[in-house]
Amino acid sequence: MRDGPATFSESWYRVAGQRICLRHSVRVHRQYYRGERWYVLQDPLRNQFFRLRPAAYEFVARLSPNKTVEQVWKECLDRFPDQAPGQEAVIQLLAQLYHANLLQYDLATDAAQLFKRYQKTRQRELKARLLNIMFMRIPLLDPDDFLVRAMPLVRWLISPIGAVLWLVVVGLGLKQAADNFQSLWQQAQGVIAPENLFLLYVALVILKTIHEFGHAFFCRRFGGEVHVMGVLFMIFTPIPYMDATSAWGFRERWKRVLVGIAGILVEVFVAALAAIVWAHTGPGVVHSLAYNMMFIASVSTLVFNLNPLLRFDGYYILSDLLGIPNLSQRAMATLRYFAEKYLYGLKKEENPANTTKEALWLAAYGIASGIYRVIVFGGILLLVADRFLLLGILMAAVCAVAWVAVPTGRLIMYLASSPRLDRHRMRAVVVTAALAAVVIVPLEVVPFPYHFRAPGIVRSAEWTEVRNETAGVFNRILAKPGTRVVDGQPLIELVNEELDLQLAAAKARQAEVQARIRQALQEAVPNLAPLTNLAQAVAMEIRRVENDRSNLVVRARQSGLWVAPGIEQNLGRWVGRGAELGLLIEPVSFHFHAIVRQEDGDRLFASSLKKAQVRLRGSVGTPIDSLSLTIIPADQQNLPSPALGWLGGGPIATALDDRQGIHATEPFFEVRASLQNTAQCPLLHGESGRIRFDLPSEPLLPRWIRSLRQLLQKRYQL
Amino acid sequence: MQTPTAEYRKTDFRRPKELFKGLDAGVYALIGMYKRRSTTASKLLVEAERIDDLAPQYKDLSNHQLQQRLFELREKFRRGMRDETDALLHSLAAIREAADRQIGLRPFVVQLMGALALYRGYLAEMATGEGKTLTACLTGVLWAWSRKPCHVITVNDYLVQRDADWLGPVYRFCGVRVGVVTALMPPDERRKGYACDITYATSKEVVADFLRDCLKVMSIRNPTRRLIRSLLARSNVETAGDLVMRGLHSAIVDEADSVLIDEAVTPLIIATLRPNDTLREAVLKAHEISLPFEPSVDYTVNLRYKEVELTSAGREKLERLCAQLPGLWRGPLRRSELIKQALTAREFYHQGKQYVVLDGKVVIVDEFTGRQMPQRTWREGMHQAIEAKEGLPLTDPNETIARISFQRYFRLYRRLAGMTGTASEAAGEFWQIYGLPVVQIPTNKPCIRARYPDRVFGHEEEKWTAVVEEIERLHAIGRPVLVGTRSVIASELLAQRLDARGLPFKVLNAVRHQEEAVVVALAGEKGHITIATNMAGRGTDIKLGAGVAAMGGLHVIATERHESGRVDRQLFGRCARQGDPGSAQAFVSVEDELIRRYLPGPMQRQLAAAVRAGLPGADKLAHVAFAHAQRTAQRIAFKMRKNVLRTDDWLDESLSFATSETGG
Repeated sequence: MRDGPATFSESWYRVAGQRICLRHSVRVHRQYYRGERWYVLQDPLRNQFFRLRPAAYEFVARLSPNKTVEQVWKECLDRFPDQAPGQEAVIQLLAQLYHANLLQYDLATDAAQLFKRYQKTRQRELKARLLNIMFMRIPLLDPDDFLVRAMPLVRWLISPIGAVLWLVVVGLGLKQAADNFQSLWQQAQGVIAPENLFLLYVALVILKTIHEFGHAFFCRRFGGEVHVMGVLFMIFTPIPYMDATSAWGFRERWKRVLVGIAGILVEVFVAALAAIVWAHTGPGVVHSLAYNMMFIASVSTLVFNLNPLLRFDGYYILSDLLGIPNLSQRAMATLRYFAEKYLYGLKKEENPANTTKEALWLAAYGIASGIYRVIVFGGILLLVADRFLLLGILMAAVCAVAWVAVPTGRLIMYLASSPRLDRHRMRAVVVTAALAAVVIVPLEVVPFPYHFRAPGIVRSAEWTEVRNETAGVFNRILAKPGTRVVDGQPLIELVNEELDLQLAAAKARQAEVQARIRQALQEAVPNLAPLTNLAQAVAMEIRRVENDRSNLVVRARQSGLWVAPGIEQNLGRWVGRGAELGLLIEPVSFHFHAIVRQEDGDRLFASSLKKAQVRLRGSVGTPIDSLSLTIIPADQQNLPSPALGWLGGGPIATALDDRQGIHATEPFFEVRASLQNTAQCPLLHGESGRIRFDLPSEPLLPRWIRSLRQLLQKRYQL
Repeated sequence: MQTPTAEYRKTDFRRPKELFKGLDAGVYALIGMYKRRSTTASKLLVEAERIDDLAPQYKDLSNHQLQQRLFELREKFRRGMRDETDALLHSLAAIREAADRQIGLRPFVVQLMGALALYRGYLAEMATGEGKTLTACLTGVLWAWSRKPCHVITVNDYLVQRDADWLGPVYRFCGVRVGVVTALMPPDERRKGYACDITYATSKEVVADFLRDCLKVMSIRNPTRRLIRSLLARSNVETAGDLVMRGLHSAIVDEADSVLIDEAVTPLIIATLRPNDTLREAVLKAHEISLPFEPSVDYTVNLRYKEVELTSAGREKLERLCAQLPGLWRGPLRRSELIKQALTAREFYHQGKQYVVLDGKVVIVDEFTGRQMPQRTWREGMHQAIEAKEGLPLTDPNETIARISFQRYFRLYRRLAGMTGTASEAAGEFWQIYGLPVVQIPTNKPCIRARYPDRVFGHEEEKWTAVVEEIERLHAIGRPVLVGTRSVIASELLAQRLDARGLPFKVLNAVRHQEEAVVVALAGEKGHITIATNMAGRGTDIKLGAGVAAMGGLHVIATERHESGRVDRQLFGRCARQGDPGSAQAFVSVEDELIRRYLPGPMQRQLAAAVRAGLPGADKLAHVAFAHAQRTAQRIAFKMRKNVLRTDDWLDESLSFATSETGG
């Protein structure tokens, strides 16, 4: 083994006498990356690029049909003795150029060989397509002709005037958006509602088409050709795409960056127009469409397009800005290099990064994009699986193959048979196995503390509700909540002016009836009987109203602790009849009623609980140990208090059609924990909180597997 | 008459598929295992017995009638048959009868089995002395009948001539013309040799002729293109007229393991000398610079992979020394490559072992055969580096014109079959590289070889003393002894020791095949002591002298274990042939090269300590260690051969804009 390609090669004779050169159609661009000179060869027919270092380029540029390879090599050696490529390097270089179809040579090529190569390429492409099924591309048209013809219409836009126009329009759009921020935000809630999906998609297609044309026109404007337009199935959603890769040949970095960012520029421009339209239209299709366009232009731009961690526009922009082409591959290569060097002890590998700084950039990028990818795709997967089960499973299978099975298989193949590892195989295998063990063994073997939490509510063991018998406006609290009261003690005073009026009216009628009775006694005796009845009725009415009025003062029906959390908020409010105003409790023993999800229930039943702690809202700092637990071994669906349900602001989902808000969507188990009232933390009836159940420690992996299975079971009844 | 077909076939050969990778390779390996399954041999045996049953039908025919019958069958074969089994069995029965009548040897049933296996494209594993030559003849007749080129490849020119002469009558009786090609023949005679229906030759000759032919037709090697061109030009004579071969079609390889595996990656090169001043100066300078470098200070030596590695001190020293130098020496990669070459020449190439100096020239010695190879040179630069080290005038480097490895060459045959005494160890490789499934052919008579357990020594010196004592002991009772050594040097050292004891012996170094064949043939005589390197006298039978069988037959001593278990078995197979008695034993020491190169350092020390202390079970431990070292060695070797093939394939594909070595 040697480091680097050797100066002399045994196979040299095969190329030494050849007279070859670059194809005439090959274009050469000089570019600078991180201050280093590179030469980019472009095959305009297939729009492929090939980067060369200056030393290699010096050799390639000298190739001509008048000279043999040997002569050229000697010439290079004479001129650049220290940098000229060795024979082996030359052979590799020529082979690569040949593979890239950049060489012109005399010998009629072996058709069979060419065909084999073609088939191999096809196979590779197919494989790549299958593995990248979430972003499958299908090329359809050649838009170049159209672009050239349309250019006069667009040319003036890609100029300083265009930039000013862009700034103005985007500024206006931003202003509109800021002015209407409230409704903008409100409408965002309904974006992924099913009835909006179609509009959303229409907006997506329109925007992305414009976006792609943005790339294409910018690229064309700077002289690059755009020959492929097609459909990209992004997560099975067809949207258009164009191939503006010929921009890679531009010498000036700002042009490359501009082509990369053109799509976003145009998209933001359109979004700004849409914002203006949206702000000036009433609800309707145009309004919604404009809104959706704004939504996509902002969200998709941030999450996908401008984000360099996935391979969209932002990636290429970043790679141009950093001056590191093939950022992603080289990041992977760098990570691999670090792993091989420091973990496996390979010493002879060449660092793919040229400087330490670049290496850091690359490594950081590699790790960040890896993590981000997992998050984004995981999210997409869950989202899709939620809506379309079959598709979700299909995608999950594909992803599992592409991201788990294939890399694992590759890793194993690499460890087992990569010639790079020939001398370090033992160490590589041991290190990898050890790393895997470090990750897996603790998960599988080492028990981790295990607990879960459940929401619940505190109730006194004995309690009566305090309700008002007469409706009225909450006026005064007569007994301070939290104090002991005795039977009959007034607690709350309500005021009801209507009752006063009713009383006044009734008394007036009583006076009237009395007067009429007196009149009848004198004038018409026969009328006396009905009037007496009426008087009785009016008297009863007065009694009733007076009774009601006296009931405006709500009294304790029994002695106990007067509890009314949050009652002060009701001051001045109208309280209907029979409203629950508070409780009278006997603050000796309390129960915490915990609502335990079904997934957690089996663990409650299966393992012996070590202890349970309750933390109440507002006094989280002082946990209360429960004395004993009673698990009610039947699943229920009605919550003990509406405060636990969504309607009451609690954490548990309740059925939408349930006005009371106590019917949970999923059955649950109730666990009663008896609590002791303590001095530091006086318990209050109706306080909500969370209970934490401590279970015996258990390794993580079995736990995760169980959670996954429960998730599947719950969601898909599998 | 030159028919277009014959013209076409002149440069026609199979285009071998690329080696499988990944899952495909796994499936392919499974297919190979299925093909090698044990029932294959039993099926062949059933067929061979059917042939045996046919014998009475041919027994009573007159010579003329038999020949008539053979010619009828020949026509069938030439036309190509749809259902051939019947004709095949009859043909073999008839050829067997012909062999019996012409040379007085009647092929045994197991040889018929072997012939069937060869015909079906298997690699027949037949123990030494079971008559492989005659077996090849049976299949050779069948293949030659088709008139498509058929080559029988043997190990050396002596065997080529001997086999062709010996079997000639059988071939001629069956209507087959036999030709031979040997080293010193002029092109005309070679052409005649290849023009025959069947051609005996060594692998070197066929490959060299193939390469020379390739050079002659250069760019128009593609048969279709050449044919079209010649038809268009209406001058089909000039295009391929002076080619020597008539294409590659079938080949039967004798000693297949040595040809197809041990020597497989050695490329055959056609080269011209061309002065290369750059190289010359660089090498001389490198030698000069390398002088002050000290092992383990400036560089470390890796025995296993045969390479040196500069330490940081060495790199600094190099930089200092090169500071004033021009050109090539300025690039850090270039200069460390050159210096490493010089150091490699110092560390791994030793006079007397890898090469000898004759008349002021470096002559390579084949490490396995111990033969001197005046024609061969090491790769570009290395040869010169060694010359510089020896202080000899530098020769001009060879400039390669054409080159092919045996491995690649034999993959070009459309029909390949092989025979060897030892194949099962490398069955996987035969299948993966050549598509040859191995089938084991049983021996005619049961083998009664006694294989004594290895004797393990803690030091090399002890081993040699023990070997000499053992030889002396056996010689005293008159038993013939054959001692196998790994290298020429080892055999010479042993010779000195025997000389000192005054024992009579003969040394064979695989240099002069014909004489050595005679010596080996006599190795079974009473009281003979023969020292031979591994390859010496291969293909020659050792017959026991009078009364030797009663003493226990020939005893074989292996003085070292070879990298490959196959070679050990070859050596042991020299005794106890054809049901004769015989015994074999290996003497090994923990200082043997095999252990030093292929056992990890800590294990080496443990083993040495255990053996030297005479711990119980040390023998067993040594046995395991040697087996492990052999496996490691073979795995590394196989991997290297596969990589060579892959690299060659890659080059071929990648450089198809230039001339490829196999044409196209």
